[in-house]
Amino acid sequence: MAMIDISVKILRYQPGKDEKPHWQVFNIAVEDESTILDVLNEIHWQHDGTLAYRRSCRSSICGSCAMKVNGRNVLACETPIHRFGRKLKIEPLSGFDIIKDLVVDLDPFFAKLKRIRPYLILDKPAPDKEFVQSPEQLEQIGESTLCILCAACSAACPSSWPNSEYLGPAALLKAYRFIFDSRDDGADQRIEIVNDKNGVWRCHTIFNCVEACPKKIKITEYLSRLKVKVVENSL
Amino acid sequence: MYKRTRFYDFTYYNFIGSWAWILHRLAGLALIFYLCLHIWVINSLTHGEAAFNNVMAFLNGVPFKLLETGLWGVILFHAFNGVRIVIIDFFKGSLVHKKLFIVLIAVAFILWALGSYLILQHVQWRAG
Ligand code: SF4
Ligand code: FES
Repeated sequence: MAMIDISVKILRYQPGKDEKPHWQVFNIAVEDESTILDVLNEIHWQHDGTLAYRRSCRSSICGSCAMKVNGRNVLACETPIHRFGRKLKIEPLSGFDIIKDLVVDLDPFFAKLKRIRPYLILDKPAPDKEFVQSPEQLEQIGESTLCILCAACSAACPSSWPNSEYLGPAALLKAYRFIFDSRDDGADQRIEIVNDKNGVWRCHTIFNCVEACPKKIKITEYLSRLKVKVVENSL
Repeated sequence: MYKRTRFYDFTYYNFIGSWAWILHRLAGLALIFYLCLHIWVINSLTHGEAAFNNVMAFLNGVPFKLLETGLWGVILFHAFNGVRIVIIDFFKGSLVHKKLFIVLIAVAFILWALGSYLILQHVQWRAG
């Protein structure tokens, strides 16, 4: 471990004080094995206590620390600075309104998630013990269950940027996760919601979501399967 | 709260997928523009044979032949990336979408070179 000098440019916005966001540069020394979150902590603790950002688990589980670093969405807590060199440019996630500095308003993100009913819907009575699901049935939903709702995908999506009505990759992935779940009976309701010009059809297979996803979920592949399912359902 | 509205985030890094999408859209717009031009040119037929021949002679000049190779390129890109999108959505292509892009665009490029050769050869033949 060695100390290195880095330059960190951060998009700042203090409500009530700033009219619009502006850049602030911090030249600091950090350990070369630092993560982006370590850098933000260093600034917050040693240089400017007013810097605001979200973090909680610092182990890529809670999904609160997604932000845009040098043009790409990443989780601050799991991303080492050496991925970007000695010049960092840190911004809040695109497409969301800014509450303060790197903290964005995620209410619309979670509202979209709620629209697709992200919970098990049952027509039949629940079994006495647990639901039986075969390995093949589990394989169907696969990685789509790994989402930590960090919003990095939706904030990286060019279809989402100009259109706040688009459900976005995270909500659509969640729709896939339940529609293809063998235990669930709510597929028809959800298919009706995603079969919309602001639903799955606004996915133009750009793959920014896949590049951004810290859990490396093949979101576009699942959304393509969802498209096929929606078409099959209306035949 | 600072409200953000954005048409496109130009500072976001462009991976292969987003380049493919941007170019696909631009190629689509270019083709619509070409179609309008095409209809306008064909429309000269309604003004008689002489008018049409005049326009054709004008369009057979070297600059338009060069533009034609560009048009051929735009058509090929739009068609081959379109095939890529179909493979992505219906045949699990999303798992290999970058390779698909490189392979299909390489094939398109070869066809572009061949076609452009034929188009430009035609120019020389007429000039000679
Ligand atoms: S799909 Fe990936 S990028 Fe999107 S919210 Fe879930 S974990 Fe984050
Ligand atoms: S702090 Fe929890 S995911 Fe980064």
